[in-house]
Amino acid sequence: MDIFLQQLINGLTVGSIYALIALGYTMVYGILRLINFAHGDLAILGAFIGLTVITGLAGSGGAPANWIVIVAFVLAVLVVAIAGVLLEFTAYRPLRNAHRLSAVVSALGASMFIQNGIMLIWSPQTLTFPEGIMPQTTYNFGSVVISATQIFIVTVSLLLMLALYLYVNKTRFGTAIRAAAIDQDAARLMGINVNKVITSVFILGPALGAIGGLFIGVYYRQAVFDMGWIYGLNAFIAAIIGGIGNIPGAMIGGLLLGLFSSLASGYISSTWQQAIVFGLLILILMVRPTGILGERVADKV
Amino acid sequence: MKLSVNRNIGAVVWIAGLLVPLVASNSWISILSIFAIYAVVALSTDVVLGRAGMYDMGHAVYFGVGAYVTAILNVQYGVPILWTMPIAVVVAAIVGMVLAAPMVKLRGDYLLVATIGFNEIFRMILINDVGGVTGGPDGIFGIGVPSVFGYSISSQEGLFVLNWLLLGIALVLMNNLDKSRLGRVFRYLKEDELAATTLGVNARYYKILAFGLGAGLAGAAGTLFATQLATVSPSAFVFMESVTLFAIVIVGGQASIPGVLLGTVLMFVVPQVFRDLAEYRYLVFGLAMIVVMVLRPQGIWPRRNRPE
Repeated sequence: MDIFLQQLINGLTVGSIYALIALGYTMVYGILRLINFAHGDLAILGAFIGLTVITGLAGSGGAPANWIVIVAFVLAVLVVAIAGVLLEFTAYRPLRNAHRLSAVVSALGASMFIQNGIMLIWSPQTLTFPEGIMPQTTYNFGSVVISATQIFIVTVSLLLMLALYLYVNKTRFGTAIRAAAIDQDAARLMGINVNKVITSVFILGPALGAIGGLFIGVYYRQAVFDMGWIYGLNAFIAAIIGGIGNIPGAMIGGLLLGLFSSLASGYISSTWQQAIVFGLLILILMVRPTGILGERVADKV
Repeated sequence: MKLSVNRNIGAVVWIAGLLVPLVASNSWISILSIFAIYAVVALSTDVVLGRAGMYDMGHAVYFGVGAYVTAILNVQYGVPILWTMPIAVVVAAIVGMVLAAPMVKLRGDYLLVATIGFNEIFRMILINDVGGVTGGPDGIFGIGVPSVFGYSISSQEGLFVLNWLLLGIALVLMNNLDKSRLGRVFRYLKEDELAATTLGVNARYYKILAFGLGAGLAGAAGTLFATQLATVSPSAFVFMESVTLFAIVIVGGQASIPGVLLGTVLMFVVPQVFRDLAEYRYLVFGLAMIVVMVLRPQGIWPRRNRPE
């Protein structure tokens, strides 16, 4: 039982990170029907920028002050959001009316470019995050350990998701985003600036992804240039499980996938964890390809 | 008329290629050998992706199945290399069809993600040495030398001719597919599945068949890959390889034989030649993929739609 609870806590933490990253995939797919293969790498770019800010401002000795950590998150979000907009502008926008697979290859190229850019700028080796970025407190319930970092990650993730949900569902511009995801042409006829919607999605998605990426960094306390693709792939699987294009779906899919993979590694096999996740994905695709909450994607003619 | 001119040029180029070992150095012969093998795999990817229009991003699996079948049969059971080829083809085709059967009904992007999943699971099976036959992360060493009528082919030149012959066979097959009923069915399914179904085409059957054909051809290339390197290891059949094959077809031009060959040159041979760039290689590579797609979304050498 204790193992179960412990895996549940760990799974919830990882799951909320997956959910944050999955939101970027699902919003872009919902509107453009494009798998943004570079999204995972953008998220990890956030981790590296955060790392540089923290080590740069705090020096090598001692725990970084809280304001440094906040600056790290803000800068990571800003830089990655700018990178996301640039990415859309250079690699995807020119291909909007081309065959869909051209944009997929462009996205794969962008993923390679960002990944190797990170390697050249930072390091081909695994980099370690300094100690004490997050409070070191842990809470023990029997043999179940919950760290303050975990509470922080889950709380902030849930708040961000709630904020995004409210933004998309309760504001005027959020309505425009949803409209563009249902039918771009009709949205355009209603006077919605679809280009603006797409740009906004490439700000929101990467911004949330950057926070997710930096969470990965502070949680595991390490970052390596090519980890974007496996986290990205898991987040994308989460988006499919929840129903691609469906924003609450991505949140639920992320949490479920985190719990599932954590329990799978605890109870079945940690070597096979990733294969089991893919097995689950294939099973879901066979039984219910539109995901748990159903897909919501634009009809692109 | 135009088509047959193209075909004749192709035949002349192929024969000229056969004479390359007479003039080229050993390193160039081995680069051309690798080119021939990857060209066959790329053409086989094109059967599924470019011709039947199914988003297959796990094609390295079938290539790997072929290579491992040859390696295991040859090293552990002493089966002569060339005898393993038909077995590799059949096993790869069966794997392709069995994996495809529950998946072909899926919409493109879902199929794409499912095939990525197959590729990852395949890699894990190889690395974790399931069944104790794959040799784990190191793979299998010491694959023998093929022999034809008692003559063993051990030189680079000999292996090159063997690879070049398979490429020739693959080209003839592709060319026939272009002109055959089967090729037209694939194209019809790709362009408009609903219309094809209405006219009585069994979409599911033909889609699985496309996977079988593509996987079988990749399996044949796998045999020669194992022979050429005399070793197989999981790293040659990972997701990145599938991505490269996918990109070859889209960058070169879907369902276009010259396009796919050109794509193979760009994605496999050019990186081999520019080894010196080492760490900037993939940065440039990624950038090139974006630039080519933006400038030529339909591929560098797209298929010409000609009247039937």
